[in-house]
Amino acid sequence: MFLRSWQFLLVAALAAFISSSLFAADTERGTVIREAQLYVTPDPTAQKVGTVTRGRDIYFVMGRSNIDGKEWAHVVARVEAGLMSAKDISGWIDNKLLITPNTPNGDQIIYGEAADSENQAEQRGGRKHAAEDAMRLYYRLSEYFPNSPLAGEALWRAADIRWQLEKEGILIRPSARELSPDMRTQIDDETMKQVLKKFPHTKWADLAAYDMLDNKLCFDWKGEAHCPEKESDIYEHYAHEHPQSPKAPEALYNAAWRQAALVDIYKSNRENDKAEHARKKGLALAQELQAQHPDGDWKARATNLSYALEQSLTVYGSGAANAQ
Amino acid sequence: MKLRVVLFLAAAIAVARAAGQHGTLIRPEALHVTPGASSQTLLTVERGRDMVLLEAARNDEQGWSKVFVTLAEGESRREVTGWLLSKGLVVASTPNADQIIFGEAVDSEAQAEQRGGRKGAATDAMRLYYRVWDIFPQSPLAPEALWRSADIRWQLEKADLRSRPSSPGADPDLRPPMDDSLMKQIISKFPGTRWADLAAYEMIDNKLCREWNGLARCPESEAELYANYARDHPASPKSAEALYNAAWRQAVLADIYRISNVPERSSKARQEALALARKIVALSPDPGDWKPRALDLIYVIEQGIHVYGAQTD
Repeated sequence: MFLRSWQFLLVAALAAFISSSLFAADTERGTVIREAQLYVTPDPTAQKVGTVTRGRDIYFVMGRSNIDGKEWAHVVARVEAGLMSAKDISGWIDNKLLITPNTPNGDQIIYGEAADSENQAEQRGGRKHAAEDAMRLYYRLSEYFPNSPLAGEALWRAADIRWQLEKEGILIRPSARELSPDMRTQIDDETMKQVLKKFPHTKWADLAAYDMLDNKLCFDWKGEAHCPEKESDIYEHYAHEHPQSPKAPEALYNAAWRQAALVDIYKSNRENDKAEHARKKGLALAQELQAQHPDGDWKARATNLSYALEQSLTVYGSGAANAQ
Repeated sequence: MKLRVVLFLAAAIAVARAAGQHGTLIRPEALHVTPGASSQTLLTVERGRDMVLLEAARNDEQGWSKVFVTLAEGESRREVTGWLLSKGLVVASTPNADQIIFGEAVDSEAQAEQRGGRKGAATDAMRLYYRVWDIFPQSPLAPEALWRSADIRWQLEKADLRSRPSSPGADPDLRPPMDDSLMKQIISKFPGTRWADLAAYEMIDNKLCREWNGLARCPESEAELYANYARDHPASPKSAEALYNAAWRQAVLADIYRISNVPERSSKARQEALALARKIVALSPDPGDWKPRALDLIYVIEQGIHVYGAQTD
């Protein structure tokens, strides 16, 4: 009896393993490009079981059915339930709203809808939660179309939107005012790390690495030298480690500007030697920026900063009226 | 002591040469009656104000400049003469002055875009960019500086008009238009350039309805405006956006006509929208995000998904 039940369990486990492998290989996944109602049966008058918002993971398309000339998809979707949990619901949705890897130009369509949502999020009076829609849509693209030429940029954009939303949330917390970045809540860098891992040595990896510097920055210097000293080093290091990055000139400028701020901080502490050292360092970084990035706004900003350093104009503190 | 005298003389000669030149401030400075921080303050002069350098002096071990400042706010104009600290003053003969003023303008613009950025930073940027064009019309930065100044002015005025309760109406002819004199100046001074193209695109704002109220008239006229712009400015950086705006409005019209039971017009608008969106897909060089947005719009139109109003099953 024991042997027979053991044999039964083994066979059942094997069957489950095989079917799950087949299931994984054959599963059609997708997402919706409009908010879609989920019905109990393929009928717009049927009971609604939920709403699937743009970019939600529809991780199993069980089948399709044509009722009175209208195509329906029977799906299982993962939707949010509360702030921290998700739940799976199954039901029928309008098939035309569902984009899967089998949809011609599916990657472009999802990307286009994501760009549209991002644009909505930037507009005054734009659609509510459009930023989250864009974030999910971009992420889905990278997930369902990993070989699409848009995959790298889509994953980066998803990571960046998530980063900006979370940064905004952290900035309003009182802990953000703490001097040390170690003492405040860190921005979750999981998706940024995915960008670095999946698309190493690309523009997207460079951009992700730049965003991640936020976790090392102080939000308030409180007039002390420690933070700008450290931040100047961080930005200079980034610029030298990622010379091809679109953010390299900005990083050099940020490093130079922090040196200029240090001049003012040291002067107010009567540390003239340190102030002079910071002045020279600021000028050297600004000159490096002018030489390496002669086009665009950064050259003019570097020239302006050099002039401020040469003329001893205040860039930080009450005399500056120009806090960065 | 000798060195100080030599340095002062050198500075005085430089200022004497610069006297009569136009300049501007890259930091706000207090304007005093006489050269000295303890003398009476007349007012604080902001970044980017137009001024003429009259003479220089030295007091409290600092260089002072006597300037004639023009304070223009819309129609009103005031002129004041006084003394301010020289170090924040950039005049035409300052080496790399165009770059320095442009850099300060970019910095102010970045400040204006930041949450908690400096108050008045956008107007500082607008004035500073204008000064680059005004003082250095031959600078390679001049056309872009004039365009940026005009654009900031346009955006500020647009935001101001939107916040006024007196200008809701659907009809653009019934609300006060935004002042387009600077935009027109760009088009006449730099015809055929990207700056003229950008100015022409911005000016379309004055012809757009605030609300469509579900009627076809506004999206019809707007689709035509954008399509005409794309046809007349094929090299513009806004060409793909204009085509998309025209296509999207035609897709909206397809929905409005369908709801109004005018199927022929709905079908015509649908075909028009598809044709415009396909033009974007065929654009070369690749128009960036506009291509996937056009493909998304094509999919939506072909599948009969609504773009305007509520989706009904």
